[in-house]
Amino acid sequence: MPDTPAIDRVELQNLASLARLDLPAERQAILLHRLQRIVAAFDALRELPTGPAPAGLPSLPPLGLRPDVAEPAMPVAEVLANTRHQAAGAFVVPRVVDG
Amino acid sequence: MTSLWQMSAAAIASAVRAGELSAREMVTSCLDRMQRIDTGLNAILGTRAEAALQAAAAVDAARQGGHPLGPLAGVPVAWKDNLVLAGELATAGSRMLDRFRSPYSATVLERLQRAGAILIGRTNMDEFGMGSSTETSAYGPTRNPFGADLVPGGSSGGSAVAVAADLCPLAVGSDTGGSVRQPAAMCGVTGLKPTYGRVSRYGLIAYASSLDCIGGLARTAEDLALWLDASAGSDPADATSVPTQPAITPHLAARRDLRGLRVGVPWELNGPGLDAEVAAAIQNAVAQLRGLGAEIVECSLPSVAHAVPTYYLLATAEASSNLARYDGVRYGLRRDAISRCDAMMMQSRSAGFGDEVQLRILLGTFALSFGYHDQYYGQATRARALICADFARAFASCELLLSPTSPVPAFPIGSHIDDPLAMYLCDALTVPASLAGLPALSQPCGFTADGRPIGMQWMAPALREDLLLQVAHVFQANTDHHLRRPLP
Repeated sequence: MPDTPAIDRVELQNLASLARLDLPAERQAILLHRLQRIVAAFDALRELPTGPAPAGLPSLPPLGLRPDVAEPAMPVAEVLANTRHQAAGAFVVPRVVDG
Repeated sequence: MTSLWQMSAAAIASAVRAGELSAREMVTSCLDRMQRIDTGLNAILGTRAEAALQAAAAVDAARQGGHPLGPLAGVPVAWKDNLVLAGELATAGSRMLDRFRSPYSATVLERLQRAGAILIGRTNMDEFGMGSSTETSAYGPTRNPFGADLVPGGSSGGSAVAVAADLCPLAVGSDTGGSVRQPAAMCGVTGLKPTYGRVSRYGLIAYASSLDCIGGLARTAEDLALWLDASAGSDPADATSVPTQPAITPHLAARRDLRGLRVGVPWELNGPGLDAEVAAAIQNAVAQLRGLGAEIVECSLPSVAHAVPTYYLLATAEASSNLARYDGVRYGLRRDAISRCDAMMMQSRSAGFGDEVQLRILLGTFALSFGYHDQYYGQATRARALICADFARAFASCELLLSPTSPVPAFPIGSHIDDPLAMYLCDALTVPASLAGLPALSQPCGFTADGRPIGMQWMAPALREDLLLQVAHVFQANTDHHLRRPLP
């Protein structure tokens, strides 16, 4: 079995960036400790034989996909009702690219 | 004399249909009790008194007009705050969705309304369903009516407390890894997690989509049969919903005893790590089941040793994807006065999500990340298949499986909150059925010496909720564990 991966502060910052989380330094210390403990405790799973991973749950019916038929969309006003940041029937966000 | 708020859902619906009780009286009684009792419990995040009274008036008018009434006519129902109802708040217990009002309704809530139920209020929960104690809610912890310093279990703790404290006879919850069954056990009520897909998930705020199930909590198996019959069925809006099955309520009382029933007791779920009083209560229940005619056999589910890591890796991986939608743009909390979009998203998510949700998002991101995916997510997927195969083998030789619902009874508020691993292990007995997509039910089977409820869990093959509910009904007809009420 390969060694338990050591999640260090750099790895944690990388995960936070992927997860779009902005972690203050004091939170990083707590989260790092907790993640290290959890991953170490879950390590036994890596002892299982490897092989192709089966898909789906057995003994349940297949997905019931509905016909691909166009339906009326939700009114724009309803779609925008849960944000204060809107203009001209669209969501408003801060600048995405510099320039 | 029985107060209105002590009546079962079946008794309420029957009395409303017979004209012996008005839906308005019933709803008023529950709203009054919520106002009086819930201050110390924090089970209810909000009521919709005006809309509920209007709906009750419509039920009463229909009866007076001679129109047929539904099977849940006039029954007040609370719902977990991760189910959306058009025009109502839906927070999922998170600061992220503090002011979110849904533009549409969950299928399960619409179906309950069509059956005559009166949707009365939203219940507290662990944030996004992530917790086993209802302590991670942004709106404060819910307290157990059997002891104000005790957790009610979670994540559907508000729904379990609403039923246990007689705030309403029926409540809807969701169960991803035990979130209906475990709080049911800790609060002395009965909770059903149906087969994956039996109740449409449309309108459920997603946590882990391959595991999420909508479940019901009530005082009796009879009320849960009514709930399931009203809630279940295929739904074009949820591709994972399974075809509609025959109604259960008409056949609920088909068994007078348990003769001919073969019950498997998997030793892996009934031995190591159990609280001594929980183990003793299960042994006592097994003796009662034998007395009712059941044949009890030992069996084995060897792969459930891997169930907790399997569940937490798969659930958090799915959560890291499902919760990516909360970016502060279309709905949810948004940090203002930030000049760049990516920084706004990161700061909004960090401010909106609580500690446990952030931890699980990071764990899920880790499980899916390059270099670790196959070692963790891939292995968890393989372990899930092994657990499914174990259940299939066990059900070849017995009809139901039995275990405690939780390895421990309700624990003090604050005792596990800083130790996520200890909290995760509280789910060890409920996650196996979740991973296999199987129906499972928790019902009271005893109490600790200091009065904390203990629950036992029945697990059945896919779509055999009829068997679960029949057996639970027989047990309740012959025992009184489910009748103990914590509050006057």
